[in-house]
Amino acid sequence: MIPLLILAPLILLAAFGAVWMARPVHAALMLALTLALVAVLYLALGADFIGLVQFAVYVGAVAVLIVFSLLITRPGDEAEEIERRPRSLVTGLFCTLPVLAVLAYTAVFGSNIKLIPWQPKLSIAELGEMLFTSHAPAVLALAVLLTAVMIGAALFAREPDKPQDDSSEK
Amino acid sequence: MLPLAAVISEPSLFSLEHLPRLPQRLVELLLGNFGAPEWLVSIAGFLVAAGTVVGVFLGGFALLSLIERKTLARIQNRIGPNRAGWFGILQPVADGIKMLTKEDIVPDKAEKFLHLLAPILIVVPAILALGVIPYGREWTPVSLELGLLFFFAVGSLTELSVFIAGWASGSKFPMLGAMRAISQMISYELPLIITALGVVMVSGTLSLPHIVEQQNGGFWHWNFFTPWGFFAGILFFICSIAEANRCPFDLPEGESEIVAGHMTEYSGFKYALFFMGEYLGLFAISALGITLFLGGWQAPLPGLGFVPTWIWFFGKLAFVIFLFLWIRGTYPRVRIDQLMRFAWLCMIPMALLTLPAAGVWHFTGRGLLSWVLVVPLLLVPWVIVGVIFNKRLAAATRTYTFADG
Repeated sequence: MIPLLILAPLILLAAFGAVWMARPVHAALMLALTLALVAVLYLALGADFIGLVQFAVYVGAVAVLIVFSLLITRPGDEAEEIERRPRSLVTGLFCTLPVLAVLAYTAVFGSNIKLIPWQPKLSIAELGEMLFTSHAPAVLALAVLLTAVMIGAALFAREPDKPQDDSSEK
Repeated sequence: MLPLAAVISEPSLFSLEHLPRLPQRLVELLLGNFGAPEWLVSIAGFLVAAGTVVGVFLGGFALLSLIERKTLARIQNRIGPNRAGWFGILQPVADGIKMLTKEDIVPDKAEKFLHLLAPILIVVPAILALGVIPYGREWTPVSLELGLLFFFAVGSLTELSVFIAGWASGSKFPMLGAMRAISQMISYELPLIITALGVVMVSGTLSLPHIVEQQNGGFWHWNFFTPWGFFAGILFFICSIAEANRCPFDLPEGESEIVAGHMTEYSGFKYALFFMGEYLGLFAISALGITLFLGGWQAPLPGLGFVPTWIWFFGKLAFVIFLFLWIRGTYPRVRIDQLMRFAWLCMIPMALLTLPAAGVWHFTGRGLLSWVLVVPLLLVPWVIVGVIFNKRLAAATRTYTFADG
């Protein structure tokens, strides 16, 4: 309980920062911090594997991908972003309030919430075995999807076949 | 119990094998004797154990900065630093004093906080990664079940800190350097992890101490001396050069092109931190390579068990680091398009090939049959790709726009 009490406000603060920061790079870094803190929360709950994977995938890959794409695109104007804030806030609240309401409703009135025993230990070997036996179709579907994405990305990245033309350089 | 009596009651404490753990055990015994509570004893023990690792590798960093300059000087037929102390042995101290007393310049356009954060964030993952490596039979600072995953998870933080350094400096060269660094690290991290996966498949564990234990009984049991491990080890080594930003893959800080890449706007102690992070990262990635492919702390021959295991580990580490220096002194820097093409067209497919090879090796009994099956499986594609690459490079003769008219 104590890790949750310490980490949850931090995660919320970082997430709020990710939304509030006017500069896209700041927002992306705050998002990275949020994801890293969630990874710490997983570790504190005893889910080592998911915590480390969260760190490697989300902080190491997704956050870097976001900042990298920010670099090669031209971000919008900062002042405009700040000016737009009140309207954005209304839209944001309109989107989040229903979700929050549903969550609050289930937390207060939901009777079928079971407390999970503290630190359910599942060794990495068991996890792997489960993934490749009972959950094999899901893994296979994901593998096919990712291969398709990979091929698509390679097709996009391929240089178009055109004859060598150096006249513009000279 | 008197402290002395407690120490004597544990005779193995003073053997060479246990030497790296001696400070930790002494602190624990002493605190225990003075009636400190259990949690304080274990925390103090952990701190001292972490301090041992950090101390050893900071010493190694100081030594390496001298040895590197000396080795490069030898390769280039120079003498190298020889003024400070005997054979320049005090050069690291002189460098340290110089770095610490330099003015710390923060550019006007820099993001002050992020500019400060980046050098710290670059050292932290390197030290964390060093914490899970088994240095000796009795010396694994933190023995994790998911050690390998932990190593790669904290290692991925480096990319973010390089980006922060490049962006927060508010200048062009750091930005370009950071973009180069990130694209290079992402491209070479893929084959690095894939080649490490082969070891995981064969060992059936992610725990680094267990991976080392499975390679016992002489050098022919090391993963590097199996057919798939040989190829995977070479790929791993090439990737680790790129991950450590060493020549010939030191484009992120190519001095002749972009000043010093993401470190351009740093001076004084912050620059020293970058330097330190880079060397600690080099130690970490070499140590991981040794653990995965070169048998970790295992002695090369069965009869050599009387030498403490951590001496074998650090001997191998010195050898691998020397390979890094040797390559730095030998090869010129590659171009960025060559680097990326090499990663995506050569390294990743070859690394993917080592996975089925490792599987075949594992399921055909690791005997003569496995050799017959696995060697052609890897050798034929390597030769084909090598021929194609050579032809492509030979065909693309460089045209000098202004010289040729």
